[in-house]
Formats: sequence, structure tokens, C-alpha cells
Amino acid sequence: MANTGLIRENQLSLHQQRQRAAFWFLAPMLVALFCVAAWPLLRTVWFSFTDTSLNDLYGGKWIGFDNYLRVQTLSNGAVRYKGTLVDPNWWNAVWNTVRFSVVSVLFETILGLIVALVLNAEFKGRGLVRAAILIPWAIPTIVSAKMWAWMLNDQYGIINDMALRLGLITEKMAWTANTDTAMYAVLMVDVWKTTPFMALLCLAGLQMVPRDIYEAAKIDGIHPVKVFFKITLPLIRPALMVAVIFRMLDALRVFDLIYVLTPNSAATKTMSVISRENLIDFDKFAYGSAQSTLLFVILAVFVGLYIWLGKVDLSGESGK
Amino acid sequence: MARAVTTQRKLVYTIAAWSVALLIFFPVLWTILTSFKTETSAVANPPELLSADWTLENYAEVWGRTDYPRFFLNSVIISVGSTLLGLLIAIPAAWSMAFVPSNKTKDLLMWMLSTKMMPAAAVLIPMYLIFQRTGLFDTRTGLVLALMLMNLPVIIWMLYTYFKEIPGEILEAARMDGASLRDEVLYILTPMAIPGIASTMLLNIILAWNEAFWTITLTTTKAAPLSAFIASFSAPQGLFYAKLSAASTMAIAPILILGWFSQKQLVRGLTFGAVK
Repeated sequence: MANTGLIRENQLSLHQQRQRAAFWFLAPMLVALFCVAAWPLLRTVWFSFTDTSLNDLYGGKWIGFDNYLRVQTLSNGAVRYKGTLVDPNWWNAVWNTVRFSVVSVLFETILGLIVALVLNAEFKGRGLVRAAILIPWAIPTIVSAKMWAWMLNDQYGIINDMALRLGLITEKMAWTANTDTAMYAVLMVDVWKTTPFMALLCLAGLQMVPRDIYEAAKIDGIHPVKVFFKITLPLIRPALMVAVIFRMLDALRVFDLIYVLTPNSAATKTMSVISRENLIDFDKFAYGSAQSTLLFVILAVFVGLYIWLGKVDLSGESGK
Repeated sequence: MARAVTTQRKLVYTIAAWSVALLIFFPVLWTILTSFKTETSAVANPPELLSADWTLENYAEVWGRTDYPRFFLNSVIISVGSTLLGLLIAIPAAWSMAFVPSNKTKDLLMWMLSTKMMPAAAVLIPMYLIFQRTGLFDTRTGLVLALMLMNLPVIIWMLYTYFKEIPGEILEAARMDGASLRDEVLYILTPMAIPGIASTMLLNIILAWNEAFWTITLTTTKAAPLSAFIASFSAPQGLFYAKLSAASTMAIAPILILGWFSQKQLVRGLTFGAVK
């Protein structure tokens, strides 16, 4: 009797000891997260309410919401609105970003699933094919954007040459410079770069689906299309949802691809590009900070809605 | 009969898979091919393939004009260093989250995800200010720290999902046998999670290797890695495509070789452990 009491006491202290250890184990991470996630964010939000300039980063004065929206009443009684919230360039960038993100992630997910289904089948040289497919993802965007700029070149580019030979176009085109095609060019390169990544995520999901489920479905004579929608898709859905949210966040912040491939094109300028422009290239540091803050708010709202509507469980508990 | 059908189907899949792979791989192949052509041959119209003038001159020139070994060394130190330092912080943290769960775990994950909601340019200035003040600007130490901080959320997220797959009973049993906390993490958990840790490590080395925005802005010359090397070749838009291709090939070759030998771990790592 006394013995069990002793053990219980020991366990209790062990439990407490673990709780304490857990806290100390988390501490370095919390400090690091504060440095990377909290401090820059707070600083940027603060900058967005000041008139700080890049030349005088410590000398900004508090000006309230003026960077977002400022109502001016002119001497003749007319009312003028200024600030990011009424800036057509900003809303153009928002529209470009949303368009780019929705289309690219949609294509990447669907194509990724198709490629994964092909790769999941048995064929010769699977390892080699998988390695070849992984490569676009493993290459720095700065390199692949240049590679594509070169291939899409209006004079020497191989894409124009091939499209011309196949009869898809009648004359050589400046894909990245032309405002009508710039967005397509960016989308194409992004889909090329990221589809393999999505495919591998889907593939890993597919390989976790037990083979006997397919066998059973086969014996019951269920059509393969129905098997895919009723069995495969629901089973890989949790993995797919997490993959899509990570992809979507990257797409909504897309920067380097557009910066290298279509510099200064209003047709492809995204929120990240325009805010960087104001932050660093133009002398509108506080204004750019306001745009960065808005970008953060938009993304946070999106993630919240996505998790809520899609019933995504980030900690993956529901999978168990 | 059934066997013939299976073989036929296998052939169809093989052709389909290889076509997809070739299509995806083509731009890289084209860049590598261009890097071995003379500048005139590279811009020939229509593009030349078999009739091209092949040469190694581009590589010789890129090698001669720049200090490739230094860029390479910086890249290795920065990507490996930041990953190891990240693991040192992430393993205990992930242990806490996975085995001593609390109602804060979800908030923590959400907080980590929020690092992907800020445009890099906005994080840049606060970081830049810190770097200038502490003298970390253009040092390897500074970049190791910066990239560790950038990638830490991903490292922890991955490790957390791996650790959760390990049954807690095993750790409990070790504890019953008198293992201390240190023994538990060091000798029981870590060896069991080696595949997961290896995938996490690989993925993060690649992420750090490819990182361009931070490495270019926070360095000038001393600590500049290969991403800065490739960016320095962007200026001539004219007839330097073969040299640009050679420089690109040199920048991506190490990562291609690493990825090639470890694609199995990578594929597993890429799932973020999200799939069970």
C-alpha cells in the first residue's frame, strides 16, 4: 500500500518534471519565433502608421491611418481620398495576385494528381523518373526564371521556334513583354515549377492507401473513376488540404518569379512586388509597410476561412 | 492472356511516365545543352541541336572570371550550418509538442504558419536594422542565423508530424526502466526518428541552398553564396546566354547531385509527414 503511494508520488513529480522540461525545450523556439514572426510583423505594422522614410528609419512620426486612407477637404469644398485603399495600382496588384494564385494552385493540384496517378502505377525506371520530376522544384527560382526567360525570348527562344513549327502561332511573340501574354507566361512557369512538388505530395498520399481496398473495389466491379472519387480522393484529402494551404500561401506572396520574368509589367505585378517597390525602390517606405500589413491581413483572413470552411486540422489529430 | 494485358498496361504507363518526365525535365536539359555551345551557336536561329558547335569555353570563362569555390563554400556552410542549428532547437521543441501536448499546440502551429503570411520585403527592413546594429551583415554567422530563423517553422512542423507517429508507449517504457529525460530524447527518440530527421535535414538544406532574397540582400561579397553568384550574371542581357547557362548549371549541379542520391528520403520528407 505504502509502496504504490510512493510510486504515484514519483510519477507525479516525473510528470511535473516533464512539464517543466517541455517548457524549457520550447523556450529557444519561442524566442526564435518571436524574432522571425512577431518582431518584424509588429515593426512593419508600426511603420505603416508613421511617415518613416528609408533614409530616416528611426525618425518617423505617427500619422494614424493616413497611409491607408486619408480624406482631404480642399478649399473649394471638394473631398479627395488618398492612401492605399483607394490606390488603383494596389487593387490591380490584389486582383493579379488572386488571379495568379487561384489559377496556378488549381492547375498545380489537378495536374499534380494526374501525374501522381501515373507515377503510382508500376513501370520501368521509377526512381529515375521521380528524380527527374523533382528537379524543377529543387532549382532556385532565380535560375529557373532566367532559364525560362531565355526559352521564351522572342528572337532566340526555343518555345517560339517549336510553337511556330507546330502551327500554334503564326509569328514569333514576346511572351513576357506583351501585356496580354505576360500572365500566361508567369502561370506556365509556376505550374512547371510547382506541379512536380504537388505530384510528389499526392504520390506519397496515394502510396499510403492500402492496396487491398483497390482489390476489393475491383472484385465488386466498381468503375475506376468512381473508385478514385469515392475512395482515393477522400483518403488523401487531409494531405492534399495541408499541401494546398502551404502552396496557396506561397502563391499569394509570389515575388521572385515575377520580379525576374516580367519586371515592371503592370499585367503581372502582385501584392509582394508592389509593396517591395514602395518599400525599397520608391521612396514610400511607410506606404509600402501599409501594403505589407494589408497583405498580411488578407492572408490571415484567407487562412482562417480555409481552415474553418475546409475543417482542416493542422495538428493532424483527426487522421488518427 | 491476363499476363499479356498486364505487360501491355505496364508499357503504356512506362511511356506515359517517361513522356511526362521528359517534358518536365526539358528546360533543365536545354540549359545544360546551351552551356556547352558557343555563344553564336546558342543564339542560332532556328535553335541548333546536333549541328551546334560544342565547347567547354563557357565553363572555363565563368570559372576564371569569378571565385566559384568561395561562393560554393559559403553555400555549403550556410545551408548545412543553418539546418544543423535549426535541428538543435527544433528537436526538443518538437518533442515537447508531440509528447507533452497542451491546448497551446494548435496556436503554436498557427503562429508558425503566420511566418508565411508576411511578404519577405516587409520582414527585410526590421531584420536589416538588427543585422546592421549587431555587425552580422555580410557574415556567414549572420546568414546561418537568418536562414535558420526563416526555416525553423518548417523544420519544427515536419519533425512534429514525424514524432507524432512514434508511439509514446515506447518512450514511457524507457522511462519506467529509469531512463532520464536526456536519455529518452537522445538515445530512444532520436535514433527512432532518424529517417524523419534525415528527410527534414535534406529538405532544409535544399531550401537554404536555393534561398535568394535573403542571401542577396544580407550579403555583399564576403559571405555571398551561389544564389548571389547567379544573380551577378543577370546584367548582360545580350549575347551571353551560353555563359549564363554555364553559370546556372554550376550553381544547380551540387543540389542536383545531392537530390539524385537522396530522392527517396526527399519524397518522404516532402510529405511533411502529413500523410500517414
